[in-house]
Amino acid sequence: MTKLGIAIDLERCVGCHTCANACKMQNNVPTGMLWNRVTTEGCDVIDGAVGTYPNLTRTFLPVACQHCENPACQRVCPTGATYKDEMGRVEIDYDKCIGCRMCMAACPYNARSFNWEEPVRDVDFNYGDAEVPVRPRGVAEKCTLCRERTDRGEEPMCVVCCPTHARIFGDLEDPASEVSKAVIEHKAHVLLEEQGTRPQVYYFD
Amino acid sequence: MELLTKNKLLTAVLAVLAVAGIAAYVFQLAGGLAVTGMSNGVSWGLYITMFMFFVGLSAGGLIVASSASVFHITRFKAVAMPAIILSTVCICLAGMFILIDLGGIQRIWRLFTGPNPTSPLIWDVCVITLYLVINVLYLVNMRRGNDRAVSIISRFALPCAILVHSVTAWIFGLQMAKEGWYSAIMAPIFVASAMDSGLALLLCVLAALKKARIFDTSRELMASLAGLLATCIAVDAFFIFCEVLTMAYPGAAGAETLALMTSGPTAPFFWFEIIGGLAIPFLVLVFAKNRERTGLVVGASVLVIAGVLCKRLWLLLTSFIVPNVEGAPGVLSDGGWALLGAYAPTLPEVLIVVGMPCLGALAFMVLGSKLLVPATEAEKVRIRGARRAALDGGFDPQTA
Repeated sequence: MTKLGIAIDLERCVGCHTCANACKMQNNVPTGMLWNRVTTEGCDVIDGAVGTYPNLTRTFLPVACQHCENPACQRVCPTGATYKDEMGRVEIDYDKCIGCRMCMAACPYNARSFNWEEPVRDVDFNYGDAEVPVRPRGVAEKCTLCRERTDRGEEPMCVVCCPTHARIFGDLEDPASEVSKAVIEHKAHVLLEEQGTRPQVYYFD
Repeated sequence: MELLTKNKLLTAVLAVLAVAGIAAYVFQLAGGLAVTGMSNGVSWGLYITMFMFFVGLSAGGLIVASSASVFHITRFKAVAMPAIILSTVCICLAGMFILIDLGGIQRIWRLFTGPNPTSPLIWDVCVITLYLVINVLYLVNMRRGNDRAVSIISRFALPCAILVHSVTAWIFGLQMAKEGWYSAIMAPIFVASAMDSGLALLLCVLAALKKARIFDTSRELMASLAGLLATCIAVDAFFIFCEVLTMAYPGAAGAETLALMTSGPTAPFFWFEIIGGLAIPFLVLVFAKNRERTGLVVGASVLVIAGVLCKRLWLLLTSFIVPNVEGAPGVLSDGGWALLGAYAPTLPEVLIVVGMPCLGALAFMVLGSKLLVPATEAEKVRIRGARRAALDGGFDPQTA
């Protein structure tokens, strides 16, 4: 079985937010919503720093759906709208989502966004990949690991667009894949390991 | 309709508020859940709070009525009818709040065509439906004077009442992602607080019915129910203490959540529950003399109900304040880079939350006017006919 995943090199990440924007464009993500986001640890502003001048530190952490092997969101979804697909991705069938938001309560990573209103876009048309379905009001959405692209054998847009090549995409089941090698070689870690969700997104320095 | 016509002013006020609530819901259907104060950071709010609250309120009635049959506490049988009506109305309200909270109610049929057996919400749909059916069967059979059926139903009603609260607790208690929810004691706490808030509501309703001269409850029975309420408050307080101690003792992540509860934005609700909802009513009701005085019993009951409502609020909302991953993508808010979840209910939300219980109160008054007067011969005769038919078949339910 395939288990698609991403390993992110935090040493290479310069916090340029290109992955977040590439994701938003590719997936027609509405205004006020992001599937992928570069957080700056301890700051409530973009690109902030912590500490007192001149002893400042700044850490970037790109976060999106972790495509867990043991997904809490999938377990609690009453209608099976959230499911783990044969490629190891956590996906949402928007036709089945009844908007109960149980998944949002269950996800330890707060990776999900809800369509509280009719989706608004700054331009008055849909953008991005034509194959990406348009989400109606009242459903949850999140990173799909660029399902439409990865189905075609392409890499997710955040991986393609990252200017510093900080992201490595591939099959975690295949020990010869770049991503598997990076995870082992760099002793990559996952977010909130203690939650037991076994994410398929890894981080290393 | 005696209750409605006798209290014209109350009926009018309730009707106006109920209509406002329904109008607000129509407004929400048109605008989506965006008209509420909920956001990606705090994705559940007052509706889910009210759902928990009304599932709990529904308990007292059914547990009192069914334990009358199961444990042969004959004196409780006297209040079985108002108790079950109350329980039925409350569980309907609980179900309504779940429906109101759904963002995609037009796709609700998906619950039946593709249920996911691992979802606590599916368990809840099953158990609440079962619970409602049991309540209705109970009402029908009690009305017809079919004691044998009532005693059989009550044997199912009692475990089902406990299950409905446990399942509601598991919606929260099984979510490892939320430090303040993930606890094995969540189900016992829910059962205990359901018992005390439900009993307290029953006492208030009984006192009101007595005042309206619709249904008389003896002073001794009120005192006895108040004694049971005091016990339930003590059990609830004990469970909460166990939970709080377990959170605090290691001084780790749990202690941080506890600090939020005791001194964070939800602290007023926490302290009201502890002092107003548990300590004061217990200290009032623990003395037999106080239990004889209806005014004190009703006062303590109102405090208990308010306390449990506050408890639902702090339990639900505290766990939404601090996300596990700082500045996670879902917590993006209008202001941009939100690190903490924030929530304040909007006007439509408040109107719905006020309006639906008013609708429930009206439903109680209608059902009460019909069912709290002695049953007519026409209603009872069918049972006699059924019994005779059974006897003819050589089967006597009284002796079989």
